[in-house]
Amino acid sequence: MRKKIPPFLRPLNLLRRNYQTKSHPLPTQQLTSTPPPPPPPPPPPQQPYSVSSDKRTKKNSLQPSPSTKPIFTSRSLTDAKKTFDYILSTSPFPLDTRHNNSLLESYTQVATLDDSISFLAHMRMKQPSFSPDSSTYNVMLCQSCKLHLSFVDDLSIVRKVLDFMAADGFSPGHGTVDLVVRFLCSVGREERAILLVKEFSAKYSPPDIFTYNFLIRHLCKTMSIDSVYGFIDEMRDSFSMKPDIVTYTILIDSVCNRKNLREARRLIGVLGEAGFKSDAFLYNTIMKGYCTLSRGSEVVGVYKEMMEKGIEPDVVTYNTMIFGLSKVGRLDEARKYLSVMAEMGHFPDTVTYTSLMNGMCRKGDAIGALRLLGEMEGMGCEPNSVTYNTLLHGLCKSRLLDKGLELYEVMKSKEMKLEPASYATFVRMLCREDRIAGAYEVYDYVVESKSLTDCAAYEGLENELKWLKKAKAKAQGIA
Amino acid sequence: MLPPMARKAITDDPKKLANLIDLVNLPSTLREFVGQSQISRLGFFNSVWSYIKTNNLQDPNNKNVVNCDEKLKMILLGKPQIELAELPMLIKLHFPKDPK
Repeated sequence: MRKKIPPFLRPLNLLRRNYQTKSHPLPTQQLTSTPPPPPPPPPPPQQPYSVSSDKRTKKNSLQPSPSTKPIFTSRSLTDAKKTFDYILSTSPFPLDTRHNNSLLESYTQVATLDDSISFLAHMRMKQPSFSPDSSTYNVMLCQSCKLHLSFVDDLSIVRKVLDFMAADGFSPGHGTVDLVVRFLCSVGREERAILLVKEFSAKYSPPDIFTYNFLIRHLCKTMSIDSVYGFIDEMRDSFSMKPDIVTYTILIDSVCNRKNLREARRLIGVLGEAGFKSDAFLYNTIMKGYCTLSRGSEVVGVYKEMMEKGIEPDVVTYNTMIFGLSKVGRLDEARKYLSVMAEMGHFPDTVTYTSLMNGMCRKGDAIGALRLLGEMEGMGCEPNSVTYNTLLHGLCKSRLLDKGLELYEVMKSKEMKLEPASYATFVRMLCREDRIAGAYEVYDYVVESKSLTDCAAYEGLENELKWLKKAKAKAQGIA
Repeated sequence: MLPPMARKAITDDPKKLANLIDLVNLPSTLREFVGQSQISRLGFFNSVWSYIKTNNLQDPNNKNVVNCDEKLKMILLGKPQIELAELPMLIKLHFPKDPK
C-alpha cells in the first residue's frame, strides 16, 4: 500500500504517522492544524556521491520498518532522510553545523556506516549552505567506532571513514587519529592501534606527541617492554617520530613497575644522551621506582641529586620520599623531611600523613600513628579511607582491638570501604578475642559496602573461624 | 601459637572458588528452608545468617551463640544451640566435596 503513495507525498505521510503514533517533540498547536506539506524534494541536480544513489534504491526496495521515533531510532536510510527533510522544512531557523553534526551523530549511532555516509551526502544536497568541517567527520568516525569496533576486529570501518574524509578534501588530522587510538585502547585493541598509527603515518601525517605518548603508556601496560621499544624504533626510523621526555618518563615508570632497575638506569642514561633535561616528574618517577623495589633508602640520594641539579621538588617528591623512608622504617628521617617540606612551602597532605602512619604502624607504634591522626586533623587535613585502613590494620596488628573498634565505627559512619588486608586482620583479632558476632557484623558491613567481593569476605571469615577451631582443639589437647 | 597465616586469597584458586559459588542441587530438607532448589554454599550461608538475624535468634546474653528454632534445627543437625563460630563448618557438611 505504501508503495502507491507518490514519492512527493511520502514525507507528509510519514509526518502524519509521526504525529499520530509517536510523541514527537513538537508544539501541540501544530499537532491540531494540518501541517503544510513540505516542498517535494527537488530532483537532485547531481549526485555528489555515486554511493548515495545506488544505496537509496537498494534501501527503497527494502521497506523501512514502521517505527520512526524521534529523532532516529530506525536504521533505515529512507526514514532518516524523510525525518531530516521534515526537520529542515519546519525548522524556524537555518540549521548550522552543530545542528547538522548532532543529527548526523544521532543517525550514526543506529545506522551502518554506508548509510551514514549517504545520509551526510543527503544533508549536503538539501542544504547547499552546509559545508561539513572536520568535526563532522570526527563525529561520524567516533560513532561508527563505538558501534562497530567493539565487535569487529577489523579496521576497515576506520579506513573507510578516513578515505571518505580524504576524498572530501579533509586530510585527517591529529584529532582524528587521536580519537581512534583512544577508542581502540579503551577496548583493549592495542595491536590494532599500532597498526592504525603506522598506516596513518604512512598515508597522512604522524600522530602528535600526545597521541603518541598516550599510546606508549597503554602499550607499556599491556605489552612486553621489548615490543614497546620495537614500536618506538619503528616510529623513529620510518616516520622520524622521536620520543620526548614524557615518553621516557613513561618508560622508566613502566620498567620500575616491572622491577627492572637495570633497565631503568639504562634509560636514564639514554635520556641524558638524547639531550633531555630531567625534570621533577622524572625524578619523582625514579623515586617511585625505588619505593616499588623496596629500596626506599635510595630516595635520599635521588633527592640530593635533584637539589644539586637545581630542580625544584614538588609535593609529590616529598610524599614519595616520606613514603619510601617510612616503608623501610627510617621514620626519623621521614619526619625530618616533613619539616623540610613545610619549610619549602609545601603543605603535607593526606598522602604524606598516611605514609608516615604506615611507617609507624609497621614499626608497631600504632598509638603514635593514632596520635598523628589527631595532629593531622588539627592541621585541617582530612583523612581518607586509605588513612583509616592503614590505622585499622596497624591497631589490629598491635592487638589494640578496642581502639580498632572505635576506628571501625568512625569508618562506618563515614561509609568508608575496608581493604582486604585491614579486613583480614580485623576479623582475625575479633575472632581471637572471641567476638564472633562482631566478626559477623564486620562481614555484613564489608558485603554491604561492597568493599570486597562476597566470596573474598566469606573466605576471610571462614578461614579465621577454622583457625580458631584448630587453636581451641590444640589448647584443649594441651590442657 | 597459631600457625603462620600463609593463606592465599581464595579468588586465586578457581577450584576453591567454584566450591563456594557453584550452584548445587539441594536435598529436600534444605530446599524447604531456602525455598529454591539450587543454591551455592555462599548463598546458603548468607540465607542462614540473615535468617538468624531477622528472627533474632542470637542469644541476648552471648551474641556468639545462636538458639536454634525448629526450622533451623532441621538443617543444623538438630542441635538446640550452636556457636556462630561453627556455622560455616556446619553448613559445609551439606555441601560435600565432589568425589574425584
